[in-house]
Amino acid sequence: MKLKITNLSKTYKNGVKALDKVNLEIGTGMFGLLGPNGAGKSTLMRTIATIQSPDQGKIVFNKINVLNDNISLRKILGYLPQSFGVYPNMTADSLLNYFAVLKGISSKKERSILIDRLLEITNLKDVRWKNVSGFSGGMKQRFGIAQLLINKPELIIVDEPTAGLDPAERQRFLNVLREVGSSSTVIFSTHIVDDVKELCNNMAIMNEGKILNHIKPVESTNKLKGKIWNKVIDKTSLDKMDKKYNILSTSFNPDNSLNIRIFSDQKTVSGFKKVNPDLDDVYFLTLKENS
Amino acid sequence: MFWFKKPALYVYSIIFLLLGLFASGASAGLFDSVSLTVGSSRIVNSPYAISGLFGGMSSLIIFLYPSIIGVGIYRDYKSETHSILYSYPFTKMQYLFAKFFSGVFIVHLIILVLGIGVSLGFILPGTNQDLLKAFELKPYLDIYFIYILPNIIFTGLLVFGVVTFTRNISAGFILVLILVVLQGFLVGYAEDAENRLVSALADPFGDLAIQYYTQYWTVAQQNELYIPIRGVLIYNRLIWLSAAGILFVLIYRTFSFSQNAISFAFWKKSEKRIKKTNFLGIVDIDLPNVKLNYSFITQLKLLNRLSNIDFLYIVKNMPFVSIVLFGLLINIVSLFELGNLFGTATLPRTWRMLEAGETLALSINICTFLYAGMLIHRSRIFKSNELIDTTPTKNWVLFGSKFLAIIKMQVLLLSLVMISGLIFQIYKGFYDFEINLYIYELLALSLIYYVIWAFLAFFVQTLIPNPYLGLFIMIVLLIGIPLTQLAGIEQSIFKYNQGPGYSYSDMNAYGSSINRYFVYKTYWLCLGIVFFILTILFYNRGLTSNFKERLKIAKNRFNGWHPFFLSVFTILFIAIGSYIYYTNNVENIRRSSKEQEIATVEWEKKYKKYEKYAQPRIISVNVNLDLFPKTRDFNVDGEYMLVNKSGQIIDSIFLDHSSRISTFEFDRENTLVLEDTTYHFDIYEFKNPILPGDSLKLNFTVRNKPNTLLRNNSPVLYNGTFLSNQNFPSLGYQGYELTDDKTREKYGLPPNELKPLPSDSTALGNTYISKDSDWIDFEATVSTSVDQIAIAPGYLQKEWVDGDRRYFNYKMDSKILNFYSFNSADYQVFKDSWNDVSLEIYYHSGHDYNLDRMMKGMKAALEYCSENFSPYQHKQLRIIEFPKSQGFYAQAFPNTVPFSEGLGFIADVDDSEEGGNDYPFYVTAHEVAHQWFAHQVIGADVLGATVMSESLSEYVGLKIIESVNGKNKMRKFLKKSLDDYLLSRTFETKRENALMFNDGQGYIHYQKGSLVFYALSDYLGEKNLNKAISKYVNKVAFQDPPYTTSIELLDYVKESTPDSLNYILKDMFETITLYDNNAVSAVSKKMDNGKYKIDFEFNVSKYRNDEKGKINYGDQERDSINFQSDNMDKPIYSVYLEDYLDIGVFGSDDDENETEIYLKKHKISDINNKISIIVDEEPIEIGIDPYNKLIDTDSGDNRKRIVYED
Repeated sequence: MKLKITNLSKTYKNGVKALDKVNLEIGTGMFGLLGPNGAGKSTLMRTIATIQSPDQGKIVFNKINVLNDNISLRKILGYLPQSFGVYPNMTADSLLNYFAVLKGISSKKERSILIDRLLEITNLKDVRWKNVSGFSGGMKQRFGIAQLLINKPELIIVDEPTAGLDPAERQRFLNVLREVGSSSTVIFSTHIVDDVKELCNNMAIMNEGKILNHIKPVESTNKLKGKIWNKVIDKTSLDKMDKKYNILSTSFNPDNSLNIRIFSDQKTVSGFKKVNPDLDDVYFLTLKENS
Repeated sequence: MFWFKKPALYVYSIIFLLLGLFASGASAGLFDSVSLTVGSSRIVNSPYAISGLFGGMSSLIIFLYPSIIGVGIYRDYKSETHSILYSYPFTKMQYLFAKFFSGVFIVHLIILVLGIGVSLGFILPGTNQDLLKAFELKPYLDIYFIYILPNIIFTGLLVFGVVTFTRNISAGFILVLILVVLQGFLVGYAEDAENRLVSALADPFGDLAIQYYTQYWTVAQQNELYIPIRGVLIYNRLIWLSAAGILFVLIYRTFSFSQNAISFAFWKKSEKRIKKTNFLGIVDIDLPNVKLNYSFITQLKLLNRLSNIDFLYIVKNMPFVSIVLFGLLINIVSLFELGNLFGTATLPRTWRMLEAGETLALSINICTFLYAGMLIHRSRIFKSNELIDTTPTKNWVLFGSKFLAIIKMQVLLLSLVMISGLIFQIYKGFYDFEINLYIYELLALSLIYYVIWAFLAFFVQTLIPNPYLGLFIMIVLLIGIPLTQLAGIEQSIFKYNQGPGYSYSDMNAYGSSINRYFVYKTYWLCLGIVFFILTILFYNRGLTSNFKERLKIAKNRFNGWHPFFLSVFTILFIAIGSYIYYTNNVENIRRSSKEQEIATVEWEKKYKKYEKYAQPRIISVNVNLDLFPKTRDFNVDGEYMLVNKSGQIIDSIFLDHSSRISTFEFDRENTLVLEDTTYHFDIYEFKNPILPGDSLKLNFTVRNKPNTLLRNNSPVLYNGTFLSNQNFPSLGYQGYELTDDKTREKYGLPPNELKPLPSDSTALGNTYISKDSDWIDFEATVSTSVDQIAIAPGYLQKEWVDGDRRYFNYKMDSKILNFYSFNSADYQVFKDSWNDVSLEIYYHSGHDYNLDRMMKGMKAALEYCSENFSPYQHKQLRIIEFPKSQGFYAQAFPNTVPFSEGLGFIADVDDSEEGGNDYPFYVTAHEVAHQWFAHQVIGADVLGATVMSESLSEYVGLKIIESVNGKNKMRKFLKKSLDDYLLSRTFETKRENALMFNDGQGYIHYQKGSLVFYALSDYLGEKNLNKAISKYVNKVAFQDPPYTTSIELLDYVKESTPDSLNYILKDMFETITLYDNNAVSAVSKKMDNGKYKIDFEFNVSKYRNDEKGKINYGDQERDSINFQSDNMDKPIYSVYLEDYLDIGVFGSDDDENETEIYLKKHKISDINNKISIIVDEEPIEIGIDPYNKLIDTDSGDNRKRIVYED
């Protein structure tokens, strides 16, 4: 199972280059697509999910030429868009039924068994007869997962699924996703580094329509060992420090002092303390190097 | 502002600009070069015309209210800016006002553009300046302030409220639709003059309130007067503006800033808060095995299943439910007014129920347009498109399911017709259910029409991103496509979903019309399917940014079966279209209305010169006619005997015949010197001229060209043929000229003289029925299929069967006019006799509801006419039913009266006091009276000739029905005649003459004629008048030329008229004179002797109209009188009065029925009169001309309830 994206480009009417010659190969397992807001992640996801057409390029999944034969891909696709709505006055059960019908399950009996199980997995059994339009954000996302699983998809695309979820709900959501990811290709976009850290063995960092870095999270974090330094400073001296060092991130302390993390190849950096790198550092460094 | 960035606003503005330009341009003759010339009698930019045009077009804008005014607040919710907005510091009042009036402002921009369009349209180059007067702003402002603005406020608020509270724009559309249907109902309700005041007040748009004052305006008044802003119109506006005020208060009270306050069951159920349940830490994704099936059959099943989901979405929608309930209600209510003729309903036969169901047509179309848009855009509106679009369902399934859902909706709406029809039939106790007919017409015939619109609606809604703009464009197409006729686009094949219709008759079912209907509908279905395929190609799946991208996607999708089906249906469409085009334009000559107009001109220019040439006269006719009902063919082989009755030598005969296949042979040597194959006018020159007194024979054959699928070349029907001698050749120039003088001038023709005056003694050589004969001998042999009876004038001499043909030989034993007809159908016969006259009614099996009434009518008329005027000239009289698809009328031929099945045979007569008139009886009496007035006495072909046929027959009919029904019921009838007369004269295109000079206009010789003769018999006494008519009949019956005229008739009447009443002859016959009488006050007091004294004040005035309807008050200035009391702002003027008018006092009997206590003619010389009357019984009502015998412009204010003084 392999998804191969070649030379994918898309420019919007307003001149924004959402995709700029994107090349990517993704195998089985969880693949994280990390990038800031507006990086082109959603465009890429929607293009793979066959609902947006690129200006040029090619996408192949398991011998399916996605752009020409989108119906074949849709048969094995599970897609959870960044945000979605549902028809009012439809219960979780009837909506899942609706999607099951749309996804080609023609037997009524099979549909009902499947929907039973899906509701169980996503823990929506209690609200089976409630209207989905009244669901909370987390429940709605779980419903999104339920509809996504209907056709046992081989390719799963989830676009920023954790945005807006509370920590507990987010955790539960990632757990389900992890299970799903064990047997299929899952592409998972987020701007939250922790999501990727917890889930993915493969990831890419994207910005301004380009894939900046296609890496394995653990490996690339390890590569930064000994190169990340931390210092607590007064916030007025930030400008000065910025000119002098390669600052990756900053964060405030409760006493209004500022932590800064920098990247440096040198053996020692005066006043800084060596710290363990994490995926955030990889992410910020990649963005910085490419801006 | 939001709207200025929306393309929709500009599209709306452009549409309205073009509509305005088109409508006013067309009315001002912009398209005269390609279409019919617009007649010249009307000023098209008169205040009256502008109120119709500008006001009428502005009403289209209400279909924009939901998306312009309605969305004001809804949009804030939708974009979720309300939570921010509501934290801003403005008051609820400011917010509501701002939201509402910003919508109203946008509507005004469009109104302004429309107004500009309308006013510019008149002066576009190419318009006819003769139809215009100088530009004036006042009419536009008037109509704006009294009509457009209040409507915007009221309807706008209603829509604003509904959309705000339901948060559903469709609800706004359905509301608008309900208002439109309601108004349509009120318009129908107001057809009865009694209901006009109520409807004028109740009409939310105020059209009927304007009409209340303008309905009787003559052409001159229409051209000059401003719309009167007074009385009922002001009340109507006040009523609806106060309704708007109340509405605003309600909205203000109900509306709340808190964003969750407004919640409606059918939008967002207020759900209980759902507790968060915990996910277990780790889950197993062990899904059961299911089969994914993408086969064609499953896709079809899927399509159906999805369509049910969409169908339920529509059906569960509150607005839809309300239109269904409302439609059902209106439909049933309007069934009560069904086919109301002379106050009498028709039996609820199924075809009647189906016809009434056409009131739902607009609703079905608008629901189609609206919900097509909603279904197409629904997933995007609810943001579930990304989920749905990534399922492996094919585009044709997704779109097909929506299409099917709309068809299911259409079937549901159509079934309302059947449901309401059946409910009504059961209610009426009419158990002759024709379920098959319901289903066939609704599902096989009507549905195709709506489906074809659905194809286009989906295509438009798919291409246009805004469903409300799409809806509006569809409405404009629905209304606009038929109007392209005005611009000279006449052939149906160029106009989407147009084409011949069908009509059902119990006798002839759908006849052959159904074939043409199916051909045209198949043609449009093919184009519809092409649209269907295009819609699939352009079906929006996923996210697209612009049209170019969609075009690219469509191109990519164009593979597999798409090209195949697209080309198949395109080819089919073009092929059927070409076949229709070929049949209508190449195989047969088709003339556009314009070409027809030019042909008429050419015909006149070429042949009018022969008009005065002497021609021999037909003195006998003998025809053999073969009718073939199954193939709908006929052929005739006839013989005319001709005699030169003129004093001149005739060297040529001008033969005017039809385009049918004909041969002509004279028994004298001749040469055909001219054969005109365009106008079918031939000239035969005789070697030996025909000397005065010479006779000769003309043998002719006529048969129809074969009927084809598309062309009916014969008047023969499967069952119920009615064929008159118009299909046979005639001699000489027959007329058919353009009448509008301006149009004639354009083509270089002299002004049309109409007919000559009756005083022109040189013009009395022909009857108004035929120009080539006087009285003839008649014999006919008619054959038809063995299961039918064929009938012609005369007496049956012989009847025989030969194979599958049945023959009838008829011969007339006395002279008749050259005016006869043939009927053939599978008849039942009802027989009776009167004295020695045998009476027969030939009717369609099952139509036996009113045979007794018709039989009674025959007897009564025979009795009345032979007693009062002269003996009946035949030994037999027959009524013959013919299909209603041939028309709703009856016509009198010698001893035969073809009578439409729609008129009388199925009337539902109510004999009670409240019931309407027994018109099967009345119409029969009228037609039988024609055996005297037309078939004995026939006027010369000059103005006023129809007085002696139609008016006198009306008179006889009225007198006979009066003898049966009594005077009380007559008032209803007379009021109806008066109303019809006053309404019809407003549509006069040329000139209205006085009764005795009328030019054959129905409203003069029927309605006015009946009123005049009825009043005359009242003034002179029935016996006295009949004696005068009888003398006249005896003088002129069966006369040879010169023929009689209305002057001669009036001379006889004058002889019996006392000098004091001579004025009524002048008022009624010689001029157009109208009264305006009204009761002012009536006070009564019981006197000591037990009698009642009534003080009655009333006004009497009368005026005259010239031929254009201009008012004057006498022959000369000093003839007029006037009256003005203190509380009147304008004086009343009148022609000088020496008139005798009825004053009547009415009480009531124990059953509360009206009784006449007092009725006497009083001599009136003043406009304002105060009199006292003493009566014995307790009076309730008093009136001046209380029975409405006179022609009175307001017949409703003649009576007054009496007030008692204590």
